[in-house]
Amino acid sequence: MKVKFRAIGASATAHGRRRTGLLAIGALLALGAAACGTSTGKAGTSSTGGSFKPAAQTGGTLTVWVDSTRLAAAQLYQKQNPAVKMDIVTYDGDANGSNYLQTKVSLFNRTGSGWPDVVFSAENNEAAWAVPVGFTAPLNKGLIPQATLDGWATNANAPCTVDGTVYCLRNDLSQTVLWYNDKLMKQWGCQIPTTWEQYQALGQKVATEHPGYLVGVAGDTFAPEIYMWASKCGANQITGTKTVTVDTTSADCTKMAALLDTLIQNKTVSTSSVFSSDFDKNDADKILMMPGPSWYGGALFQSTFKTPAGQIGVAPMPQWSGDPSPSVGNVGGGTWLLSAHSKNLKAATDFLTWATTSDDYQGKLAPGYPAYAPAAKTWLAAQSASGYYADDITAPLTAAADQVWPGWGYGQFSQEAIWAATVSPGVTAGKTISSLLPAWHDSIVNYAKADGYQVASK
Amino acid sequence: MSTPTATTGRTTARRGTLRALWPGRAGHGFVAAYVVLLIAFGVVPTCYAVYFAFTDGNARFTGLSNFSRAASDFRFVPAVEHVALYLVFWLAALVVLVVGLSLLLHRLSARGVSKALRFLYYIPGALAGAAGVLVWLFVLDPSVSPVSFLLRAMGFDTFGQVVAPGHLPILFALIAFWTGAGGWIVVMHGALNNIPHEVIEAARIDGAGAWQTARRIQIPMLRKWIVYMMILAFAGGTQLFVEPQLLAQASVGVAGRDYSLNQLSYDFAFQNNDVNTAAAISVELLLVGLVVAALFVARSGFFDAD
Amino acid sequence: MPTEGHPGASAFRTQPALLPADLEPRRSAARRHRPRNPLPALVLGLFVVFFVLPVLWLVLAATKTDDQLVHGNPLSFGSWHALKANWDALTAYQGDAIFQWLRNSALYSFGALVITLAVAIPAGYALAMTEFRGRRMLLIATLVVMLMPNATLVVPLFLEVNAVHLIGSMWSIILPYAFYPFGVYLAYIYFSTALPRELLEAARLDGCSEFGAFRRVALPLAAPIVALVGFFSFVANWTNYFLPYVMLPQSSQLPVQVGLGTLLDDVPQFNPTVGDLAVQRPELALATLLAITPVLIVFLFSQRFLVTGMLAGATKS
Repeated sequence: MKVKFRAIGASATAHGRRRTGLLAIGALLALGAAACGTSTGKAGTSSTGGSFKPAAQTGGTLTVWVDSTRLAAAQLYQKQNPAVKMDIVTYDGDANGSNYLQTKVSLFNRTGSGWPDVVFSAENNEAAWAVPVGFTAPLNKGLIPQATLDGWATNANAPCTVDGTVYCLRNDLSQTVLWYNDKLMKQWGCQIPTTWEQYQALGQKVATEHPGYLVGVAGDTFAPEIYMWASKCGANQITGTKTVTVDTTSADCTKMAALLDTLIQNKTVSTSSVFSSDFDKNDADKILMMPGPSWYGGALFQSTFKTPAGQIGVAPMPQWSGDPSPSVGNVGGGTWLLSAHSKNLKAATDFLTWATTSDDYQGKLAPGYPAYAPAAKTWLAAQSASGYYADDITAPLTAAADQVWPGWGYGQFSQEAIWAATVSPGVTAGKTISSLLPAWHDSIVNYAKADGYQVASK
Repeated sequence: MSTPTATTGRTTARRGTLRALWPGRAGHGFVAAYVVLLIAFGVVPTCYAVYFAFTDGNARFTGLSNFSRAASDFRFVPAVEHVALYLVFWLAALVVLVVGLSLLLHRLSARGVSKALRFLYYIPGALAGAAGVLVWLFVLDPSVSPVSFLLRAMGFDTFGQVVAPGHLPILFALIAFWTGAGGWIVVMHGALNNIPHEVIEAARIDGAGAWQTARRIQIPMLRKWIVYMMILAFAGGTQLFVEPQLLAQASVGVAGRDYSLNQLSYDFAFQNNDVNTAAAISVELLLVGLVVAALFVARSGFFDAD
Repeated sequence: MPTEGHPGASAFRTQPALLPADLEPRRSAARRHRPRNPLPALVLGLFVVFFVLPVLWLVLAATKTDDQLVHGNPLSFGSWHALKANWDALTAYQGDAIFQWLRNSALYSFGALVITLAVAIPAGYALAMTEFRGRRMLLIATLVVMLMPNATLVVPLFLEVNAVHLIGSMWSIILPYAFYPFGVYLAYIYFSTALPRELLEAARLDGCSEFGAFRRVALPLAAPIVALVGFFSFVANWTNYFLPYVMLPQSSQLPVQVGLGTLLDDVPQFNPTVGDLAVQRPELALATLLAITPVLIVFLFSQRFLVTGMLAGATKS
């Protein structure tokens, strides 16, 4: 038995068959339209419109979604409250822009069931979509006392607040500070800069006296949140639910861009990502200073670079000289959301409150700087007691927690993705950040419009 | 018993003589279970998507407005360009290298070696999706790559330079080839085995060298399989998704998440909660795939049995 | 099939077909006499390096510490000690999540495999060997749904599964997996080209029913196609990411591909906020190796099985 191939293919029957094929496709589509026409689910894009009507409170199992880091919180709560029936589900925490939560919620909205009661998300801009689709319950309208909410650091819940209503609770803060190597600073007799002007001067000094050493890194997707945000650059002013003002060419932006350009040029600011292998291998032991978020201490210096204890210190972010109101940026920080569809609001609220405020979890277990100020105190005390840091980290971190510049908003579009796709490749190719500011502006405007924002640009 | 409802072209006597030895209804029994699955998980979701493409969020018929919304999105035209460029590299690599490698493998006289090589070529096929992120993150970073000498020789010193926007179509084609080629080589090798040995032997006696045998006999006889590969590879290529998604994750976003049309469709569906525009893009991709498939099928007589 | 791999991952590109041709090696035992030319061997060797080197790197990565991964020679062996440590860390992740993922993957893949074979082989046989109304329509419908991009099909599929109250059940994964139009095409091509019609005719003349002819004549010759449809279906289901990712509500139900995604998001280099419970990259490499091993074993197994099946088929004609 063998299979024969016809070396010359098309036969005279091809035409007839093709027509049959087209007919068949047409019939298929018609069949499809008919079959679908009767069973259409409607897109559930109901708006809460400020009036929250809880679902019938039938109680039952409390479904909690957490990422694997926050699994410890849910498990500890279950251990302390064995009477609460909990269903703990781990998911990716929506990290890395996976949109998992949004995907599932939009499906649940169509089917009218399946929502979890409480969700942790590693992203801080979930409210931007979750409020319009009616997924989140308002928290400051009777569910959680204002006295409790007042315990959060200044503006910590800004990403969760829409028109004065709080729709989620911030888990951790990621306020930026100036990380530095105490040993090197002392060895070289350097003063910690308090202004950006001093910072730039120190960078220029390092470039000539200690080439190869770094005073900062601007190669990550979150570089604009470290530098531009702290510099009060108005690239991301979310002024309403669906309105944004984009201004990337004001002096606040251009002087920071010029500073970075100078230091990138003399190679004291790296354009590699701090999480790249390249950086880990070649630059990790050459950091004199590095502006960055509060989680750099544990996640970066301690775990990734394995910098020895007693070297790393924390100072306040530099400020532009003459600026009376100090400002810092922010890189991330997760949020907890409470489902508006929960049939178990009481138990859900209890868990939510515990997960965000308890000393047992936030103060003693959580990896990030707690957004709830009293828990942050406990957390800082534990960090100081670990003896890893060269000096006191409590004062600068606590101060920075209240200085996050509120002019940078939390829109639905990702400023990090925009920067990574627009500015980073240009910088890698040798362009200056200053020259890329207009392109950055245009890209932000495009993405904002694509997400349905009204854009005012200056 | 469930059968396709619409009746299409009249059965021809010609086909009857080819296939059915006697007319019977037993065929329906054999395909019944498949038809149920086809309707439930193929036809209904597909027609549902087509229905989405022509309606809005409130189930009102909107004509082509979803299509024009998709086409006027600022990411649409760049995405078309990206995919077109990628297709050029991907199809060229696939056709030339898969056929070439299969011919070379087929010439190996040691069967064990040929078999082992086919296995080795196939291995990356198992590394699809998330499993591949780690590999590419390291392989493309000159400071830790096992082929860093190669990357440096090409003038790349940092990961950022390697994943510069201009290089992306080639990188995606490379990744797709790395994971997908092995399976096709197995297929082509099997097809080559199918060519009667006497034909090859006759050519050899006529004095044809390896190259001439390949060009005049083997490749023409492989045509059907090459066409088959092209249809599926073209449709697969227009639906480019996994490779950019993977590299976006490995490259902290330099390779964007809206690089290809399919990614854009995904973004519309799940980032903007706009299933309708997403469906419009998918329907366009489906149409392009169908047109190309129809062209290939018609010109090659691909469906002609026997 | 609508839910292959990641959304849009083409079933076709990554899992090409079995072809009847593949089942029929017609390799002559006669030695070939060709002048030795080093170029082919060189090219084949180069491509071995191309395909295998990254995989080799991955294997070696599992034997290192995260530190060695970055600072050591990329192609050096770490240590058995580090491998053991990575193994311990991986198996300790969320209890024994990795084994649970592998078990789930096996359940979904093999469950769907059984249904796929039971459905696709008879369907392919009928499309190739019998005449019935709607036959051509069925072939075209199969092609059309195969060309549809997957991202958009997820929403309809989810709504459907929800409508029949299967959300949360393993059937919400197994049934969509079991729909494998690709396998039907393979079986169709195989039977239409490789099954001698005379045999079928003889059986029918002997008074066999249609089903009898299928069972006594076609099935015994179908071993290679069963192996091939089985292999490609298994690989497609094992590597599928998006369907279970969207469909399953419980983390205890996740298959290993989604599990790998979860692990990836716990690596500080991909998600800096993970803190103390971080997964190190060598553990991820080890998990990846565990996840791909079944595919490779099934490939080796079916590669061997295909040849014997082919020969068995060939001798009957």
